[in-house]
Amino acid sequence: MRALYVFAALLGAFMLATAASGARTATPGVTPTEIVIGGTVPMTGVASGFKTVGLGASYYFKYVNGHGGVNHRKIHYIIKDDQYDPAQTSDKTRELVEQDHVFAIFNSLGTEHNLATRPYLNALGVPQLFVGSGGTTFGKDHKQWPWTIGYQPNYRAEGTIYGRYVAKTTPKARVGVLYQNDDYGKDLLAGFTKGLGKKAKLVVSKQGYNVDDPDVQSQVARLKSAKVKTLMVFATPKFAIQSYRFAFQLKWRPKVFVNVVSSASNILKLAEIASSKKQVEGSVSIVFLKDPTDPRWAKDRGIKLYRAIMKRYKDKGINANDVYNVYGMSVAHTFVEALKKAGKNPTRASIMKAATHLTLRNDPFLLPGVVVRTTPSDRFPLDQARLERWHKSRWISFGGLFRVR
Amino acid sequence: MRRALGIGLWVAAVAAGLAVYVFLPRLMSDFHSRDLAHAGVLFIAIVGLNMLTGYTGQISLGHGALMAIGGYTTAALVVHEHWRDVWTIPLAGIAGGVVGLLIGIPALRLSGLYLALATFAFAVAMPSLLRKFSGLTGGTQGLRFLESAPFQVTGLKGTVTVFGHSMTQNHFLYYLTWGIGIVGFAVAWLIVRGGFGRAFRALRDSEVAAVSAGVAPAANKTLAFALSGVYAGVAGSLLAIQTEIVNPLSFTVVLSVLIVVGAVVGGLGSLPGLVLGALFVEYLPTLAGHFSTRAGVPDFVYGAAIILVVILLPGGAGGLLRRAARPLTSWLYTRP
Amino acid sequence: MLLAFDWSQLAQQTVIGLSSGGTWALLALAIVLIYRSTGVVNFAQGEMAMLSTFVAWSLIHHGLSYWAAFFVTVAISFGGGVGLERAVIRPVERAPVLTVVIVTIGLVFVMDGIARWGWSSETRSLPNAFSARPIEIAGVAFSIQDLGNIAVSLGIVALLWLLFRFTKLGLALRASAVNPQESRLLGIRVSWMLALGWGLAAAMGAISGMLTAPALASFDQNLMQPVLLYALAGAVLGGLESPLGAVVGSLLLGVFINLIGTYVDWIGTDLRLPVALAVILGVLLVRPTGLFGGTPVRRV
Repeated sequence: MRALYVFAALLGAFMLATAASGARTATPGVTPTEIVIGGTVPMTGVASGFKTVGLGASYYFKYVNGHGGVNHRKIHYIIKDDQYDPAQTSDKTRELVEQDHVFAIFNSLGTEHNLATRPYLNALGVPQLFVGSGGTTFGKDHKQWPWTIGYQPNYRAEGTIYGRYVAKTTPKARVGVLYQNDDYGKDLLAGFTKGLGKKAKLVVSKQGYNVDDPDVQSQVARLKSAKVKTLMVFATPKFAIQSYRFAFQLKWRPKVFVNVVSSASNILKLAEIASSKKQVEGSVSIVFLKDPTDPRWAKDRGIKLYRAIMKRYKDKGINANDVYNVYGMSVAHTFVEALKKAGKNPTRASIMKAATHLTLRNDPFLLPGVVVRTTPSDRFPLDQARLERWHKSRWISFGGLFRVR
Repeated sequence: MRRALGIGLWVAAVAAGLAVYVFLPRLMSDFHSRDLAHAGVLFIAIVGLNMLTGYTGQISLGHGALMAIGGYTTAALVVHEHWRDVWTIPLAGIAGGVVGLLIGIPALRLSGLYLALATFAFAVAMPSLLRKFSGLTGGTQGLRFLESAPFQVTGLKGTVTVFGHSMTQNHFLYYLTWGIGIVGFAVAWLIVRGGFGRAFRALRDSEVAAVSAGVAPAANKTLAFALSGVYAGVAGSLLAIQTEIVNPLSFTVVLSVLIVVGAVVGGLGSLPGLVLGALFVEYLPTLAGHFSTRAGVPDFVYGAAIILVVILLPGGAGGLLRRAARPLTSWLYTRP
Repeated sequence: MLLAFDWSQLAQQTVIGLSSGGTWALLALAIVLIYRSTGVVNFAQGEMAMLSTFVAWSLIHHGLSYWAAFFVTVAISFGGGVGLERAVIRPVERAPVLTVVIVTIGLVFVMDGIARWGWSSETRSLPNAFSARPIEIAGVAFSIQDLGNIAVSLGIVALLWLLFRFTKLGLALRASAVNPQESRLLGIRVSWMLALGWGLAAAMGAISGMLTAPALASFDQNLMQPVLLYALAGAVLGGLESPLGAVVGSLLLGVFINLIGTYVDWIGTDLRLPVALAVILGVLLVRPTGLFGGTPVRRV
């Protein structure tokens, strides 16, 4: 294990050094008129609901290109379908690097998927920018993987927030967790346990499920029979909706915390239809993006821009209310800002330097007050959020903006 | 005279095939070699499945799961025991063969549709089994060579030197995979031409008749299963070596389906068309994608192509080749 | 010890097993229907059901009431099933088993492609057929919907029984499946019987999709994929030839998987699919015609 870290660190550092010293001649993916970047996203298959993470970014780039691009270069963003299979992620990423000669890998989705390509990209000195996963390791392990940086608030930190909140506000409640049996779900669970601290024994039941299960009825029943009063839903949208419905069918109404991946308004509205408004009322989550269906942002400049871009550039069949599009635009906006800072003739080293020295206050798609901030040793660009509560079929934020760490 | 000509043509065909194998990478981009190597993986599994389904008539929709056995054997040896990746291939083949044999035994009692159902269920259940034994398999994360055992990966630095020749990693993977594929093809050809092949075909055509002719059904049918398992195991191993990662999601029932489709399109019960079967399965989705990038089109085209081939060309590509060559072969092999 | 045992947990998990099994039963019925009338296991049955569900969604979206959309979808699916048989299965009617299996596999991709082309892949919902309101009896909760699904499947079983036992059409259907050659000699238009079988199965599939989607709380193009193996296992357990077997088999399977998962920790929720595999294997090896099937006949 250690041998690898040493090897990759040395190789990566070597590449970084030669790149920085200008020993390279032409930078792949950069021409006088174009910057070519690429990423993998599950366009088809079980996780295709996340494809708008990539598509949303592509629409923002089209908008930027329509206004002249960056330093007279248009951004060409190639999205390849990995069908949520890490082996295909590996293959397609290689294709992007070796055949399409991209400047950087950008916004690839999935925890295991980015873990699979991380050693390869770092060994070759290809920037792995703004990874589409809340895996803590993408921000934390930068010494071994200097070419990698995450974007969204990491899952462990999110779980910790819920843990601290539960320990503070309902210190005696019996707690249960429904979690997806993979890195994403387990990261949230680990953070939650950490956030509970001494109150960790409040957790009386933990039920895992796999992404290819048809339903989680059995898990929900077990949580109810453990007399859980507070339910943590660390699950993807399909199963989050099911957890509300099956709880409703079992005449059980716990207080629910639902993780941000499943917190989009349209998902909760589907949950209301599947169970009842009362069942979903009071659910708590965190938020860092502006939800396009939230009436609060109806007159907001950022959301107006979002709607204009969607109207002009979106593909047929894509839902403009899908909040993952907003996420995609936010991360694309951050990339564009980093690209501007990378100089008139960007290199892989200069974009990494720009990406690790960000202080952006003007992202139109993030909550007001959120600052996209990075340093070489703090590679969590987004680490602020607010708590929000579902009330009368919409999200209402409460409390202040706090750090999700 | 004609016989000599017939043999000469055979030799020429084999020589041409080998020449294509050796020189093809020069004609295309380095990266295409990787795609071809992936097609080679499917080819090996298809050749193995053909021996089972084409020659003994036993349907298996579970060979992707046997590939998983081979792939995970390789991954476990590389990551846990630090074996060099290529040296694990024989063991992966053996593992596949053993599991194939174990499946072949209960398969004796199942036939046709029932066997298809049972092997289908095996393929669907495999990812769960892979996730469960996470100490060995890495669970949902799978096993990643580059992270846990990078020095065991051949071609880590991008070039590989074999017998003094230096080549890129992609080329190495192509030569390795298709080299094994050609050897496997030759072995299958020998088996099929020999006594086993005759016994297999007899069992496929009429088991009762075959038994009364002295063919031992149980031994031959399980042997066929074991053999096809060896091929699938080797194919799985090569897949793991190429992608440097194994993960439950890489071995879903879709993989099993692709192998069967490739065998049917290539032509069951004959060998020559199988290369085309592998190429069909590998490249058709990409070609369909060029047609239109709108969601759903590649799937539709792929499915429609499968149906059309099966309806219009029941013997698959192999049958077509044979029909096309018939004027020549009948001229060669009939007495004047 | 008997008193310390948590009876209500047992009862609740049994009821949940019946609920899950109830959704699988609907697809299992479609599978059995096609097998019974055409001798084919249609691996694309789930995807066809999924496509019908999208059609229903669009109809409702354009203003039809749930039940109007329901019946229109069933009719459209029936037509679609007949059309499919004429177009794609008829050419391979007399071909060996593997050929037909491959054609149904091709259909999986075709159906999937149509569903992804015609509708975006976002999560949607279909209204409930029956109320999802919970009922609680003796500490065990379930919903009217669970009962509704089981009632629908049993109702269809009864209808099929009437069809197959008491009508000439049903007899012709059965004869065409069991012995096409002799049936032709008897003047039965075997081809059309097969088409009818496919139409009925497609209609049944549509019903299963439209009831499964609300039962699983949301749907997208992947709706039926996790369900297919359980439906196959339930059908095999009950007997591929028996509609009643499909329903009873699926219910039993649901209860079995749930209870074994609850009480055997090692199996838990991780090994549900392998349990279904074990059931399929066990049944096929020990009693291939299933619980409700007759004795198997081996043709030489």
